[in-house]
Amino acid sequence: MFDYLIAAFSPFNILLAVLGVAAGTVIGSIPGLTATMAVAVLVPITFSMQPDSALILMGAIYTGAIYGGAYAAILLNTPGTPSAIATTFDGYPMAKRGDGDLAISIACLSSVVGGLIGALALLFLAPPLADAALAFGPVEYFWLAVFGLSLIAALSDGDFLKGVIAACFGLLLAMIGISETSAEVRFTFGSNTLLGGIEVVSALIGLYCIPVLIDLVATPDRHLNPPEAQRGIRLPEALKTLARNKWNLLRSSVIGTFVGALPGAGGSIAGLVAYSEARRSAKDSNAYGKGEPGGVIATESANNATVGGGFIPTLVLGIPGTPPDAVILGALLVQGVRTGPTLFTDGANIVYTFIFGLLLATLLMLPVGLLIGRFAYGAIVRAPKSALVPIVAFMTVIGAFAIRNSLSDVLIMIVLGIVGWVASKRGFSVSPIVLGLILGRIAEQGFVQSWTIGEALGDLWGQFFGRPLSLVIIAMTLITFIYPFAPKIKGLLRGKNNGAGQQSERASWPAIASELVSLLAFALIAGIVLVQSGALNAEAAVFPQTIAWGMAVFVVIAIVRLLTTRHVSAMASGGSVARRTAVPVIMLATVGLVPLLGFGAAGAVMGLALIFVAQYEKQSLRATCILVACVVAVIAAFTLGFRNVLDVPLPGGLF
Amino acid sequence: MRKAFYVAAVIATALGSGAAMAADYPSKSVDYVIPFGPGGESDVTARLQQPYFKDKFGQDLVVSYKPGGGGAVGWSQLNGMGGDGHSIMGINLPHIVVKPKQGEVGFQTEDVTAVYMFHYTPDAIVVNANSNLKSLQDLVDYAKANPKRLTMSGSGKGTANHLAQVIFDQMAYIETTYVAFKGTGAAVTALLGNQVAAEWGYTTVGAKQGDKVRMLAVAMEERHPAFPDVPTFKELGYDMVSGAYRGIAVPKSTPEDVRQALSGMIAEINADPAFQKQMLDGGFAMVDVAYGADMDAFMAEKSTEYLAAAKNADVID
Repeated sequence: MFDYLIAAFSPFNILLAVLGVAAGTVIGSIPGLTATMAVAVLVPITFSMQPDSALILMGAIYTGAIYGGAYAAILLNTPGTPSAIATTFDGYPMAKRGDGDLAISIACLSSVVGGLIGALALLFLAPPLADAALAFGPVEYFWLAVFGLSLIAALSDGDFLKGVIAACFGLLLAMIGISETSAEVRFTFGSNTLLGGIEVVSALIGLYCIPVLIDLVATPDRHLNPPEAQRGIRLPEALKTLARNKWNLLRSSVIGTFVGALPGAGGSIAGLVAYSEARRSAKDSNAYGKGEPGGVIATESANNATVGGGFIPTLVLGIPGTPPDAVILGALLVQGVRTGPTLFTDGANIVYTFIFGLLLATLLMLPVGLLIGRFAYGAIVRAPKSALVPIVAFMTVIGAFAIRNSLSDVLIMIVLGIVGWVASKRGFSVSPIVLGLILGRIAEQGFVQSWTIGEALGDLWGQFFGRPLSLVIIAMTLITFIYPFAPKIKGLLRGKNNGAGQQSERASWPAIASELVSLLAFALIAGIVLVQSGALNAEAAVFPQTIAWGMAVFVVIAIVRLLTTRHVSAMASGGSVARRTAVPVIMLATVGLVPLLGFGAAGAVMGLALIFVAQYEKQSLRATCILVACVVAVIAAFTLGFRNVLDVPLPGGLF
Repeated sequence: MRKAFYVAAVIATALGSGAAMAADYPSKSVDYVIPFGPGGESDVTARLQQPYFKDKFGQDLVVSYKPGGGGAVGWSQLNGMGGDGHSIMGINLPHIVVKPKQGEVGFQTEDVTAVYMFHYTPDAIVVNANSNLKSLQDLVDYAKANPKRLTMSGSGKGTANHLAQVIFDQMAYIETTYVAFKGTGAAVTALLGNQVAAEWGYTTVGAKQGDKVRMLAVAMEERHPAFPDVPTFKELGYDMVSGAYRGIAVPKSTPEDVRQALSGMIAEINADPAFQKQMLDGGFAMVDVAYGADMDAFMAEKSTEYLAAAKNADVID
């Protein structure tokens, strides 16, 4: 085994690991550029390499990208990769109050620890963990998705009912397109664009990032509170926070390793599950979601642990644990490396060299990550709003395009962004929608498959409620669901009704009317789904129908509550309406301009228009020229990089 | 006179450019779109072709993914791509035949200009190595004694796996329960975890999983060279030769001579013994259906076969 260590730490491999981690971190930090894509672009380059070097390079990029996803999550409230969804919950509030630098250092440290634990599990426990992962059948995936949904209670910003309605909406969004388990075309309204369903990454960009952009231009306030003094990377503070959260860190890394080893779950679910557990077991659960470092620690350690964890089924079973693993598996096959049961014995040298390489890359992430993180934080905090808005907007557009090389995804991204903004102003937070969208397909597939198997065996009940592993997940779900209501339940038991405590202020009738309109909009969506489901076969209809009925019931309860308590939980939105409206309008116009002008030119036009929208103070001509030149240069650089380095077929035209 | 001159000039240019195109094709890297995600059979075989393409023709073959709708998202955009031969797309049978009949999926089978079919993954019944089902006969006997109780995983509905299940059930007079999973990977996982009794998979599953699984029969004319001990369905008395065929298509606007040239190029890669060995070791089986009359006949024959099975499977009306 010592030979493998030496082989892994050859100067060339160390160089590859450094380059890989750095490139991965940058790629992961750009919303829309995922680890999958980063690894896929590399595949042809690795053909001319030794298999072990190729593996180390791909592993380093992958692990770097998962960490890089935290930057955008913390600084822009937009997960750079789906794995970083739960990082936004606490990372962004931290950045808002001026602790962005601390959050990034904590994310880096947690990622390193999580990555190491995942890689060590791969080294020592791969075969037994792979067997454990196989015990997870369709029913367990179904219950795991339900467990993920139990986070709604924590993520609905105080209004549980609205959170559930939003989650139902997200679940229904996930049903759009051709169903995997029944091959039926559902809810596309005749649009070819929607055939493939709503792409999760572009939906994430839209739902999380567009509302930030819209609110950013509404007022002249700074995007993030600047730190009081130059505090650098705040490493000692970060280390202390980690030490305080050591159990959280360990538990989340273990969760991440195991969920990563489940083919069909992946980093986003690992992060959500770890976050949920961290929140539940915390002394002060209510601090979570408001900038509690423990939330960042949980998600970031868990998602980097999925890298090592995901390689377990990939290398042991030949079944990719995560999408980037699938790419790596393909590349290995071309290299002539046969993954699967025999790899750990026949191909041992490659496997162990790779695992040591992965450990090396994870360790290198510490210096590289802290350095890049410091730079990213400085850039975002110092950048004037009039530069930040156009550049981030362009990144969302090009990122959404690059996922499937499709302009339609950009359109969906922007539309969902508008939906997300309106919904959050009406008191329906975005995160439950995202939860529904991510977990919907897993839940449905697991449900339909379990149903089919249960019916064939003549034991539906036993299939859903008779398997020990399922029962464990069900119990965890119930605890998580009920936990946030524990104080209220205690109150009820004592005979006090403190549930409607703060609802003394009664809303005006116009406010109630607009609240009613938004609830009726959701009722309408449920109605449309119910009508359209009638034409589908039973397999395709059962899940959306159930969700739509549930949603309708919750809407009715919400309406009854509204009319009896006259309490409205909407958010006030001050600031300039004109500027706010301009952001999505300009972005939509850009989508129209791309085929005419080309991607880069249309992007530049959008950039100029958004500079104008985001600019509050009067500026000298010289300053304006510099600003314009910078924004255009960045947009041009992105366009060239995507087109020529990443081989994204951006529409040409002028540029 | 002048007008005639212009017309002649335009025609000459058009002809000239066409001829020039085929002569110096490929003149830049070729974009190879896979309408699925990475890691599946379409991706792996494209990746296997990649280095040979570069070697033989001096240009990069750049693989990218356009997943969604079981391939429909990619194929519905095929004819919108550039028609100079530098944009090509992977295609799969039975998908391109069955999908358009299942609903409005944005393309018709006729919209897909198939240029070459280069391999197929023969259907195979796979069971867990520790299963009591030792032979195909065991499986048929069990299924006869316990109608519907035998669960079989497979990738998707209306797919090669699903149609194979329907066809075989009819041939053997049995009734099994098909459980659709998302992709071969998930279907195999269910098999390895004993969530289902058997899987309708491909020979590639046997190649990948080694002695963790046992193949009961393969749907080929002759035994697969990588699995000399696994009988064919034909040997066991079931006339079944089927699987998922994969190939390459071009946008409609691609000129005839470029289509011919591309077809020849893929054939050249297919003829390379090193490529063949890699493919066979991976459990794939080679086919050579070139552009032209061959392709037309092949597509017609397969369409009839698949549509009949799909009707029986109730995935189309």
